[in-house]
Amino acid sequence: MTGYVLRRFLATIPILIGISIVIFFMVRLLPGDIVDVLLGGDQSATEEQKQQTREQLGLTGSYPEQYWRWASSFLQGDFGFSYRNTQPVSEILTNALPITLELVILGLLIAVVFGVPLGVLSAVKRDSAHDYVARVGGLIGVSIPNFWLATLLLLFTSRVFGWVPPLTYVPIYEDPIENLSQFILPALSISVFTLAIVMRMVRATMLEVLGQDYVRTARAKGVKRKVVISRHALRNALIPVVTIVGFEVGILMGGSAIVEIIFGLPGIGNTLLNAIFNRDYPVVQAATVLLAVVFIYANLIVDLLYGVLDPRISQE
Amino acid sequence: MADKETTESMADGGLTRRDALVKAGVVAAGAVAAGSVAGAATAAPKRRIAQAPRRGGRMTFALEQDPVHVAPFGAILTSNHWGKQAAYDSLVEWDRNLNLKPALAESWRISADQKSITFNLRKGVRFHNGKELDAGDVKYSVEKMLAPPLPGSVATLGQIPSFDGVDVVSKYVARLRLKARDARVFGFLAWGRYSPIVPAGLYDQINASRGAIGTGPYRMLGFDPNDKVEYVRNTRFWKQGLPYMEAMTLKTLPDEQSRIAALRAGAIDGATLSSDGANSFRNDSGFTVLRGGTAAFRELQFTIKGDPKPWHDIRVRQAVNLAINRQAILNTVYSGNGNYSGIVPPGYGPWPLTQAELKTKYQKFDLVKARALMRAAGQTRGFSVKLSTFSTPLEFQQIAAVIKSQLKAINIEVEIVAQEPGTFAANNGIGNFEWDLTARGMRGDVDGYMNEYNPAIPAYRAWYPNWKNVKVWRLVGNGKIILDPAKRLPVYKQAQILLQSELPQIGIVQVNKYQVVRKRVQGMYVAFSDFNTGLRDTVWLSS
Repeated sequence: MTGYVLRRFLATIPILIGISIVIFFMVRLLPGDIVDVLLGGDQSATEEQKQQTREQLGLTGSYPEQYWRWASSFLQGDFGFSYRNTQPVSEILTNALPITLELVILGLLIAVVFGVPLGVLSAVKRDSAHDYVARVGGLIGVSIPNFWLATLLLLFTSRVFGWVPPLTYVPIYEDPIENLSQFILPALSISVFTLAIVMRMVRATMLEVLGQDYVRTARAKGVKRKVVISRHALRNALIPVVTIVGFEVGILMGGSAIVEIIFGLPGIGNTLLNAIFNRDYPVVQAATVLLAVVFIYANLIVDLLYGVLDPRISQE
Repeated sequence: MADKETTESMADGGLTRRDALVKAGVVAAGAVAAGSVAGAATAAPKRRIAQAPRRGGRMTFALEQDPVHVAPFGAILTSNHWGKQAAYDSLVEWDRNLNLKPALAESWRISADQKSITFNLRKGVRFHNGKELDAGDVKYSVEKMLAPPLPGSVATLGQIPSFDGVDVVSKYVARLRLKARDARVFGFLAWGRYSPIVPAGLYDQINASRGAIGTGPYRMLGFDPNDKVEYVRNTRFWKQGLPYMEAMTLKTLPDEQSRIAALRAGAIDGATLSSDGANSFRNDSGFTVLRGGTAAFRELQFTIKGDPKPWHDIRVRQAVNLAINRQAILNTVYSGNGNYSGIVPPGYGPWPLTQAELKTKYQKFDLVKARALMRAAGQTRGFSVKLSTFSTPLEFQQIAAVIKSQLKAINIEVEIVAQEPGTFAANNGIGNFEWDLTARGMRGDVDGYMNEYNPAIPAYRAWYPNWKNVKVWRLVGNGKIILDPAKRLPVYKQAQILLQSELPQIGIVQVNKYQVVRKRVQGMYVAFSDFNTGLRDTVWLSS
């Protein structure tokens, strides 16, 4: 197991290098640089002044030179500073990442806590009213854009209950109730797609597993139906679901950007989107690499979970 | 609901430019930005005094764009100033009608050669850190204006008049030296956007991107990017009795529906909304909808360079101007609200051409004449052109769509190219476009609108190096150094009239800005400058 984890860990290094190179050049392929954005609509600055600004920001030299400077600093733990407000990028990410992680974890929790039982129920009571409702609900869930749902939830709660989530971010360790009331609607908004996917996946795999011999044998031996479903069928049915959940971490992180903006949460998606619009290269590069790290390790955890769910799967 | 065209007024009437000069004992008139020659700006509201302001309370106002940073010098973003303006003051200021008023400087005197201005500072003014304002702070501030530390950018220096430096004459007297006569000085200072006065050594004392030390009515507690700016009342503010509120939070909420929901739920007390957003509060008695013109106007820009293009012919540009029905644009995109606009926006003091002049003469919709001009230019069959504009806000694409349909009448086939703002700005800056539908905002001085026709500036060379009008060049150049507004006004009027015929750029419309506040918020108004000036100066809470 240790060897497997070590190999996977080493394999992430070229992936992260590749991602950093792609992102580095992609943001620079966008027309205009930070100086154009800083200038906005005012065109009275001279080319010399623009060049001086570029020098102040360290935007001189060829792209490979710039990349090398950034990468070598990055490896030494210096992520640079924001071109827009000179805040150290490490500080920006340290402030923003917990918000997005909490949002994604809550979204996943909602998706799994509701998606798995609904999928099981739908499979066990196949072609019943429960099943039809769950399937239609699942179809709606995968069809609703999360930004639309977020807006709708916000307008609904403000119109009907005269309530919106608190606007100022409070960490969960300071005030858990305030924190959760702030995150519940955004988490719900980003979870619906994943919930629907999980529900549909659980239903499909459960249907497959429930028809297999060992399930029939267990029932024939007199094992209670509930035990067969939860211990024998569900455990095996969860393996592909865990894979999906791993991938959904990436989707939820991507989806969190717009939802964070709608709910005014200063998370990493919100930060990244603004940094892209502002051509704030150091923030874009570091945030993207960080998201990639989270995504890669979430999937590593998923791979390790396979072994826990099915001991036949050896990581060696 | 009360739909007000920002009719509340400050209790204190501002000095007109002329009054201020007289008060300062100045005979020679130093020209300023929009300072009124003939009284208040055209957008001046009517005076309506309601109940006496009440002290106390805290409010949250939503910003539609993050300030990004709150550094005092070298920032271009309007939202930067939204974030910082309550913390800082300048030497002079405008009232809400753009009349010049003394601020940190009680009075001033312009030298005979008009190359220096001596400011007498107000005594006893304290910064938020307790330090007393003195001439050394003015010297430090001007030095930072001329060399803004990061995240400010030297790219903003083009906005700054020809400052040479500051001499400390005595503790309370500072002399501002100019490299040349410059009519932009007072407008630049009063605008406040690039000219706050900070304590000497500010950048060594705090992280000026995230905090502020000024003399303004509110003391900044801190700025969290993409989140909020928090203020508390400056108990030592130099204006007696102000400000009214105990605390104020500016919360960044870029999504309009979020702002609407937060307003309805009482989570915020006010926000800027689109006209549609504001309309949704029209029948709600708990809110006041404020409407007013701002300096922001929309315009059509041509490139006149390189290979000959049909619009390099002045007659084609004139035909385009005549074929654009501005009232139809206002009706279609802005529910009929707004004004026609030349290259100086309506309401900017006495400087712009009047609405009557624009509607009946310079921007009159006349398709017959437009077709005749196209015929005379040999363009009866028309041509195709790419019109670039911002992808957001959506109104730009909507205006472009109306223009596209209108220009079909003179056989011009317009292809609309919507670009992300950063891309648009980059292309616009280097003249990489055929036609641009763009916008202009507030300027400290009328020269800010006119200098685009000065061949000495880089933008001119990027946009229309093949366009030439020596008379315009001369007028624009002279206008910049004539300090007497009365003499300066006809110069700029004449330049505008000439430009209405030359049309390297075509003014389209000036749009209204809408702000919705809860009923308890009093004294708020839509500021012409596009800043939330009311928040720092006049707002109080009735409960």
